[in-house]
Amino acid sequence: MKNLMKAFLAIFSFSCFLLSGFSIVEAKSSDTIVIGHPACLSGKYAKAGEQAVGGIQACINWVNNVYGGVKIGGKKIPLAYKYYDCESKKEAVTSLIGRLITVDKVNVIFSAYSSGLTLRGAPVTESHQMLYMDHGGANNKIFQQGFQYIVQTIGPATGYHQGTLNMIHKIDPGAKKVALAYEDSEFAKMVMQGAEEHAKKLGFDVVFMRTYPKGVTDLTPLLSALKASKPDFILGGGHFEDGQLFNRQMADLDIDTKALSLIAAATLPAFYKALTSMAEGVMGPSHWEYGVKYSADEAGRMGIDWIGPNQDEFVALFKKAAGKDMIPDYHAAEAGAQVLAYVLGVEKADSLEPVKVRKALGDLTFMSFYGGWDIDDTGLQIGHLMVDVQWQNRERVIVWPEEAQTGKPCYPMPTFAEKAKGKVAVPK
Amino acid sequence: MLLEQLTGNLFQGLVLGAVYGMATMGLSLIFGVLKVVNVGHGAFIMVGAFVTLWLFGALGINPIFAVPVAFGVGIGLGFLFYYTTIQKLIKAPELATLLATFSIGILLEELVKLIFGSEFRGFNWVVGKIDMGVTVLPMSKLYACIGSVIIAILLYLWFNKTRAGSAVRSVVEDSEGARVCGVNVGRAYALSFALGIGITVASGVLLTMFIPVGINPYMGGVYTLKAFVIAVLGGLSSPYGAFFGGLAFGLIENGSYTLFALIPGVEPFALTRFLSFVMLLVILLIKPTGLLSKK
Amino acid sequence: MRKEIVRPYPLLPVCAVYFFLFLIGKNIPGMWQLVAMLLFYCAMGQAFNIFLGMTGYVDFGYVAFMGVGTYGMALAITHLAHIEGFGMGIIVVGFALALLMSTLLSVAVGAVALRLRGAYFAIATIGVNEGFRFLIEGAKIWNGSEGLIFTAQLNQILGRESASALMTYWADIMVLAIGALAAVVTLYYMRSKIGYALTALREDEDAAKVMGINVTKYKILAFITSACFAGLVGAASWALKTPYVFPPEVFEIHYTIEAIIIVLLGGAGTLLGPVVGGLIYGISKYYLSIFMPGFQLLIFAPIIILIIILFPEGVVGMLKKRVKDPIPAKFIV
Repeated sequence: MKNLMKAFLAIFSFSCFLLSGFSIVEAKSSDTIVIGHPACLSGKYAKAGEQAVGGIQACINWVNNVYGGVKIGGKKIPLAYKYYDCESKKEAVTSLIGRLITVDKVNVIFSAYSSGLTLRGAPVTESHQMLYMDHGGANNKIFQQGFQYIVQTIGPATGYHQGTLNMIHKIDPGAKKVALAYEDSEFAKMVMQGAEEHAKKLGFDVVFMRTYPKGVTDLTPLLSALKASKPDFILGGGHFEDGQLFNRQMADLDIDTKALSLIAAATLPAFYKALTSMAEGVMGPSHWEYGVKYSADEAGRMGIDWIGPNQDEFVALFKKAAGKDMIPDYHAAEAGAQVLAYVLGVEKADSLEPVKVRKALGDLTFMSFYGGWDIDDTGLQIGHLMVDVQWQNRERVIVWPEEAQTGKPCYPMPTFAEKAKGKVAVPK
Repeated sequence: MLLEQLTGNLFQGLVLGAVYGMATMGLSLIFGVLKVVNVGHGAFIMVGAFVTLWLFGALGINPIFAVPVAFGVGIGLGFLFYYTTIQKLIKAPELATLLATFSIGILLEELVKLIFGSEFRGFNWVVGKIDMGVTVLPMSKLYACIGSVIIAILLYLWFNKTRAGSAVRSVVEDSEGARVCGVNVGRAYALSFALGIGITVASGVLLTMFIPVGINPYMGGVYTLKAFVIAVLGGLSSPYGAFFGGLAFGLIENGSYTLFALIPGVEPFALTRFLSFVMLLVILLIKPTGLLSKK
Repeated sequence: MRKEIVRPYPLLPVCAVYFFLFLIGKNIPGMWQLVAMLLFYCAMGQAFNIFLGMTGYVDFGYVAFMGVGTYGMALAITHLAHIEGFGMGIIVVGFALALLMSTLLSVAVGAVALRLRGAYFAIATIGVNEGFRFLIEGAKIWNGSEGLIFTAQLNQILGRESASALMTYWADIMVLAIGALAAVVTLYYMRSKIGYALTALREDEDAAKVMGINVTKYKILAFITSACFAGLVGAASWALKTPYVFPPEVFEIHYTIEAIIIVLLGGAGTLLGPVVGGLIYGISKYYLSIFMPGFQLLIFAPIIILIIILFPEGVVGMLKKRVKDPIPAKFIV
C-alpha cells in the first residue's frame, strides 16, 4: 500500500511539476510589446509557417531598429516575438494560444496558417478579449461568425481570381469560354465561387466547372474532360502541390489555352524550378510578389500613410531572419505587414488595450510594401488588392493590375509544344 | 466524344495502373511472407522519389538509372529496419507492427525533411510524346510503365528460378516445415523484407517518372492508401496479384471518372475515390484472397 | 454462478487524475487550454481502449466515429438554430444525434468489417474512414468539402457570453465527463461477463468460439460502445470547442494513430492505461513543441519504436506485473 501511495505521489508530483513548473508567471515587462504566434513549423503547413515566422521577425527588426519602437504615451517601446510550433494541428493551436495569452502575457495573437486553424483559435482569443490578427485564413465565413477581436490582413478568398478575369475581359474581348477546375477544399471552393460569380458578371461563359480531391496524384481524367470543353482560358488550383500537377499534366496532355491561372502555386519560385519551360506564360494571383511597385512615393500620390521597410529592405531583413538566402513569398509579406498594421493600430489608439487597438485598426488605412490595408466592420480585409503574376522568360512579371504592373501580359501564352522547343513567353 | 474520352482515360489508366501495381508489390510481398502490414509504405516511395530528384537534379543522371540506385538504397533500409525493429516484433500482435511501421514512416519523413526541407519539388525530364489520337502519352510515362513490367517479371523469375526465392516461397507455405527442412527462416524473413522495401523504393523512381512534380517528404500518405486498395484487389499476400490489382485500379480510377461525371450535382473525382474504398470493402468481405486467386 | 459485484476501487486513480487536472486547470492561470488538450487525449484514449484494448482488434478508421459525432452536433446546431427558445436544448439534441450517428455507423461497420481479423480488419477500417470522407465530399452531403461553420449560430442560440464560455470551458468539462463515464463503463465491462468473454477472444478467438462464447456479440458490443464514446468526444471537443467541420480534418487518420499510441503507452486493456498514456503523450508533445519547435515528430518516432519493442505492455501493464501486494493491486487495473 505504501509503495503504491509513493508511486502515485511520485507520478502526481511529477506531472504537477511539468504542468505548473513552467507556468510561473514572469513579471510582465512593460518594456516590450509581445506578439504571440502559434506558428505552423511542422506538419502540413510547415512551408507557409516558416515563411510567416521569417516575415514577422523581419518586420519586428525593422520596427525596433529602424523605426525605433512603438510610440505609446510618448515613449518608444520595442516589439518582442513569442512563437511556438502548433504542428499544423488544432489541439495544439488552442493550448498554445492559451499559454501565450495567460503565461506569456502577449499583447496580440497572430493566427496560425489556414482558415481551419484560424477558426479554432478564435473562441479562445475572443473569451480573453484578445486581439487576433489573421494572416493565414482567407475564408470569408470567418468574418461572418460575429467575432469582435479578429482582423484580417490576408485578402478574402472570393477575390483571388477576380483580377485575372478583369484582365482577360479587358485585353481579349473575344475570349468567352472559361473553365474552372479547383481543389475540393473549403478555401479553393470559395475562390471558385468568387470566380464563377465574377465571370458571369463580366459575361463569360463557364463551360467547365469541377473540383478534384485534396492529395490528388493524377488529374488526367479531369483534364481530358476539361480539354473536351474547349475553353479559351483556365482558372484553377488549390494548393502548391496540385498546382504543379495541374500544369504538368496539362503539358503532358497537350492542352493549350490562351491563359492558365493557378492559385497558391504559380507564383512561387519552386513552381518554375519544378516545371521549368512548361510554366512559361502561366499566371497566378498573389497577395504580394517580389517586384510589386508599392512605395512611399505612390502612397504619397494616393494620399495615404506609408509605413515600413521598402521592398528590398524587407527582403534583406527576411533573409537575415530566416538565415537562408531565400526570397520571401506572400506568406512572409502578409505576416510582416500585419506587424506594421499592429504597430500603427497601437500608436493610433495610444494604448495596448485590445478593444482600443481593434477600434483603431478599424479606422486605419495605410500602405506598406505589401500594398494597401483597410478592413470593414467585421474585420474582413478590403483594402488589399491582389496582383497577377506571369512567368515570362524565367522571371515573374507582375502583369495586373495596370497600376502595379512591371510588364505587359503575354497573351495568349505559347503552346506547350512551342514551350518544349524552348519558346518563352514574351509580351507582344 | 464521350467514348473517345473514356478510351483515352482507360488507356492512361492502364499505363498508370502498371506503375501503381509495381508500387504495391513490395507491400504484398512483405505481408505475404512476414504477415506484417507496412503502414509506412508510402514513406519508402517518397525515399525513391527523392533519390530520383537528387540524382537527376544535382548530378543530371537519367531517372532510368536511378532505379537500381533506389533499389540498393531500399535493400539497405530494409535490412536496417528489419534487424533493428521488425525482427523483434514478428511474433507480437498486429498492433505492435502496425504502429512500428507507421513510426518508421514518420521517422523517414522527418529525416528527409531535415535534409531536403518540406518544399514541393519536381523535375522536367523531356523525352518527347506520342500522340495516340484519343490521348497524348509522354515517353517518360511509357518508360515508367515498361520499367514496372520488367521489374514485375524479374521478381517473378527470382521467386521461381532461384534458390533464395524458393526458400522464401517455402516459408510462405509453411514456416515450421521450412525450418525442419533446413531453411533459415529468419534469413528468409530478412531477405523478403529488404526485397519488399527495395522494390518499393525503386517504384518511387518510376512513380516520379510518371508524375515528376509534388515531391516532398509527406507525399507518401496517398500512396499508402492507394497501395492498400490495390493490395486487397490482388489478394494482399501475392505480389503478382498486386501487379494485376494495380492495372485494375488504374482502369477503374480513370474510367469511372467519365461515368461519374454524367451524374449531375456531384463531384466525380471524389466519387472515384469513394468507389475505390467501396471496392476494398466488398472484396475484403466476399473474397479476401483477392480477385485473381483461385482459392 | 456467483453474482459479480463491481467494486469501484480501480476508478479512484482515474478520477483522481481527472480531478487533479481539473484543479490545475482551474487554479493555475494559463493552464486551462493545456488541460483541455490533455483531457481530450485521455478521453479519446479511453474511448478507443474499450475496443482496441479489450478485443485486440486494431481499428485504423476509428477517427470516423469522432467525425460523424462532430457532424451530429454540427447538424443539430445549424439546423435548429433558427428555432426560438430551444437554447441549451440544442446541445442535448446534438449529443443525441452524435450518439445516434456514431451508433449507426458502428453497427454498419461492425456488421461488415468485424467478420475480418487482424490486418484485414485494420485495412477495412481505413477503407471505411476514407470512403466515408470521399462520399461526403463527392456527393456533397452536409455541404460537402465546404464544411459547416457555426460559431454565429452558437452565438445566436446561447448569446455571445455563454457561447464563448461553452467553447472555451464547458466543452472541456464535457470531455472530462465523457472520459470519466468511459472509465466507469470500461470497469463495468471488465468485471462482467463481457470482460471475460473479450479476454478469451483476445487471447484466442477460435478457442473462445469453441468454448461456446458468442464472440461476435461481445465484439460488436465493445465496438459500438467504443464508437459511441468517440462520437461524444467528437461532438464535445471538435464541434463545440471548434465550431466548424471540414471533412478532411475530422477524418484525419493521424488521430487514430494518436489514439493507438496513447493506449499502447499506457497499457492496452487496462483501465488506468489510456489516462496515463494520454498524460504522457499530451505533456511531452506540448513541451516538445515549446522547447524544440519543428522536431517533435523526429524525436517521437524512434521513442515509439523503442517503447513497442521494450515495453509492449505499457506503463500500467508493467506496474500491474510488478505490484504483487494485493491491496495496491486493487487500484491498478
